[in-house]
Amino acid sequence: MTELPRISAGRRRKDRIMRGLLAAATGVALVPLVLVIYYLIYKGAGQWSGQFFTSDPNGNFLGYPGGIRSAILGTIEIVALATLISVPLGIAVALYLVEYGKKSLFANVVRYFVDVMTGVPSIVFGLFIYIVLVVAHVGGNFTAWKGSVAISLLMLPIVARSAEVVLNLVPGSLREAALALGAPRWRVVTRVVLPTAASGLVTGSLLAIARGAGETAPLLFTLGTANGLTFNLSQQMNTLPTQIFSDITSPRNAIVARAWGAALTLVVLVLILNLIARAAQRRSRLA
Amino acid sequence: MEAHTPVIGGDRPALERSPLARLPDRLLKWGLFGVSAAVLILIVYFFIRLIGQSTLAFNRFGLFGFAFHNRWIPSRLIFGAAAMLFGTAVTSAIALIIGVPIAVATALYLTQLCPRRLRGPLTILVDLLAAVPSVVYGLWGVFVLIPKLKPAEQWFANTFSFIPWVGGHVAGPSVFIAGLILAIMILPIVSAISREVISTVPAEHKEAALALGATRWEMIKIAVLPYSRPGITGGAMLGLGRALGETIAVVLVIGDDPAIPHSIFGQGYSLAAVIANEFGEGSNIPLYRSALLACGLVLFVLTLFVNGFARGYVLRGERKMFDGARHRLGGVDEPEIEPAMGA
Amino acid sequence: MFRSRISALLATAAVAAGLAACGSSSSTTSSSTKSNTKVTSATINGAGSTLAAPIYTQWGSNLKSQGLTVNYSAVGSGTGIADLESGTVDFAGSDPPLAAADITTLDKKGSPVQFPMAFGAITVSYNLPGVKTGLKLSGKVIGDIFDGAVTKWNSPEITGLNPGVNLPATTITVVHRSDSSGTTAGFTALVAAYNPTFAKKVDTGKLVQWPSGEVGAAKNAGVAAAIKQTAGAVGYVEQAYALQNGFTYAAVENTAGKFILPTIQNTSAAAVGLKVPANLGLVAINSPNPAAYPIVSQTFIDTYKDPCKAGSSSSAAKGVHDFLNYALTTGESELGPGSNQLPYAPLPANLIAKDKAQLATLTCNGAPLS
Repeated sequence: MTELPRISAGRRRKDRIMRGLLAAATGVALVPLVLVIYYLIYKGAGQWSGQFFTSDPNGNFLGYPGGIRSAILGTIEIVALATLISVPLGIAVALYLVEYGKKSLFANVVRYFVDVMTGVPSIVFGLFIYIVLVVAHVGGNFTAWKGSVAISLLMLPIVARSAEVVLNLVPGSLREAALALGAPRWRVVTRVVLPTAASGLVTGSLLAIARGAGETAPLLFTLGTANGLTFNLSQQMNTLPTQIFSDITSPRNAIVARAWGAALTLVVLVLILNLIARAAQRRSRLA
Repeated sequence: MEAHTPVIGGDRPALERSPLARLPDRLLKWGLFGVSAAVLILIVYFFIRLIGQSTLAFNRFGLFGFAFHNRWIPSRLIFGAAAMLFGTAVTSAIALIIGVPIAVATALYLTQLCPRRLRGPLTILVDLLAAVPSVVYGLWGVFVLIPKLKPAEQWFANTFSFIPWVGGHVAGPSVFIAGLILAIMILPIVSAISREVISTVPAEHKEAALALGATRWEMIKIAVLPYSRPGITGGAMLGLGRALGETIAVVLVIGDDPAIPHSIFGQGYSLAAVIANEFGEGSNIPLYRSALLACGLVLFVLTLFVNGFARGYVLRGERKMFDGARHRLGGVDEPEIEPAMGA
Repeated sequence: MFRSRISALLATAAVAAGLAACGSSSSTTSSSTKSNTKVTSATINGAGSTLAAPIYTQWGSNLKSQGLTVNYSAVGSGTGIADLESGTVDFAGSDPPLAAADITTLDKKGSPVQFPMAFGAITVSYNLPGVKTGLKLSGKVIGDIFDGAVTKWNSPEITGLNPGVNLPATTITVVHRSDSSGTTAGFTALVAAYNPTFAKKVDTGKLVQWPSGEVGAAKNAGVAAAIKQTAGAVGYVEQAYALQNGFTYAAVENTAGKFILPTIQNTSAAAVGLKVPANLGLVAINSPNPAAYPIVSQTFIDTYKDPCKAGSSSSAAKGVHDFLNYALTTGESELGPGSNQLPYAPLPANLIAKDKAQLATLTCNGAPLS
């Protein structure tokens, strides 16, 4: 019986070098993440205080510049409205594509255009809303709800795409069984398909919300600025991303420090949404 | 023998539903159809509006004049966006050159070489890079990356000044830093797609290579990479699409200079950044607004091309690999796998 | 699954409500003057000059507790006027007086009015460790620096004016505004008056053609930040931003040949003896007063004589009127050299009188607002 040929030293060395390089590359890829989180905590955590979360930016030129209360609440309100718009619409589009459209020409066109929407740079959405709504003075000038509409345009394709994938995973046998038992189509959709896909839909929506909460560009030309706290969606409103964006270019150390604190808050918010999404995914009834 | 179906109400078979009961079905179907059609109409309207607003600039300067003329002088209403195109192209190129190899290497490591216990946590960490909002990357870029890298950049510029595009005074914000941050931002997308594609490599290919005596690296080189190349290319192109449209992080670190820089450490501009910076004052001067929207249109069309190409390339490549594999392995039945492109 | 989601939503709502409920409204810290002018409860939106932004945001902060919310976006004079023209704001902040072209466009909505509000010195600030405030620079030399003719700090042009100062051989990094800026307009107006090459190469105005290789930053705050972060940098920023960040700045040569520092006193000197046209569109750059700092910029609040007819709501029009009233009575006293005053030169008495007279003519759909 012949012995297995031994791997030459050269080949073994090359193997070890390349494997080391691949591991090193992974380390390199993680360096920015570690640095970003480190600096966020290092520079931002010190800003967190009761006053930081319960006072608004006050526009004082000297002295304490205020906290980020109006920014946090503004983000929550604007993203909530954007979610209310984009999630039902996105799921509706996905439902149509999966249940009724399937491979038809119209459905393929819709799919293609939804894909097109994912590729649109977010600032172009802001421009579109600016031209169509702000300059035309539709219901006011710069208002918070127009910012919500711009963000919902961004979120819609994400929700639709992920919802389509999830709805496709619902086994056809479930649908057929329900139909065979005499359930009308709409009952099958609302009582069988949607509940089965629920956690997947929630995951997709939460990821879209996390993305929408962090976007700045669509808000630049639609929201205006505000320092004070307002809940009125037809007024200008403050949000975390726009607050951070305007604070970054300030020369005042106190305001830059506030930007770090706000950035840490935003990242924590987005991370929590991501973690909830992952937890929902794990509890999914689907594969 | 004919089945005797019971009848209700004179005509209708009992098991068939009444027209009234079918109404919710109809409503649902047409309601969903209406929503989809509305979304379609919205996108088309969006496109038309964008083109409509850009025609003024294109008529004045010509399509090629606008895109390739390097003179952006708003005060005299002269708009040639070559510098912005250049900046967009160069920052995206830097992002690809730096980001894609690292992303693919990460994907290879995580799927092929990583110890099983570490795989989950490390994958989550790499994916977390995508969760950081772009404005936070901008903040970090301005206050951490730019000052920390400046000495190294200046050293590099001085030592290698004989290479074109390198050398000169390093001020801080630059095209290079913008490209670097974009690389970090596209890394998770490219890595996630590469991981998915690599995991569809059939085990038989890998086992065959190993059985023939290949080392782990050789197995990757022979069995994994060729199979996944189209998918990885598609992923890279999707990353490119993301890099092209990124606005906020770029506008904070690129230096806002509407000119073609002499070195990668010089300041530049990008299509998205010029819109973000100048739309406020340009919005009321028709030609200025049109020029900025034309930049938006160019950007939109670019990303459309890249994304469309990516999808087509990946699907075509997958089909080729399948046909090739089936041919080589003598007609073994391969299950039809839909390439799952993540969001 | 749904139940836990609902409870999570409820918890978030509770937290949000709690945050909104507790916590006092923003309190004023630097200005302790109590406003004794009554203001209406309204929300007004303005945008424009970053030179004056510290003033308007401070005044807005003082007025918030009385019910008048002033949202001011510091986006640069150019954008401010553009926003006023497109009707998306109730008032604009602009450093340069209204140009003929702007007046023509604004006339389509109603007759525009401009109220001079304050004077701010535009400093030439530099980041040179070891070099103190007071580096002597003439208009000509500044022009050569900013158009790229002079590239190093120890060039003979600069050392010639400053014999005793030890200037390093650092390369000069020029920082300029990348957005449409009244500060740029004021700065370039002065430099072009003394440097014809600069005038031809870069031109004057809110948005000019800077040579390549310089750093562009948006807003006064952005330029200040860029100067702060780059050793060897020089840029033009308004006095308040320079003082706020402890910048070192130049003493600039004025018409009398003297090198003047941008103190509040020297800024106020530029406001003395100014020619005031009928529409109050005065210019304070390159003042002939021998004690004046040469790069002093005026700043205006622009609105319409009849804001309601131009598109603002009646409450917003009243709000603009009350805001201006506050500005001309209590607001001006918050500007000055004092340690808790904003570092701008307030209006001299004659200008305040002219502004008040113009304010009295504001109407809402014909009915007077005063």
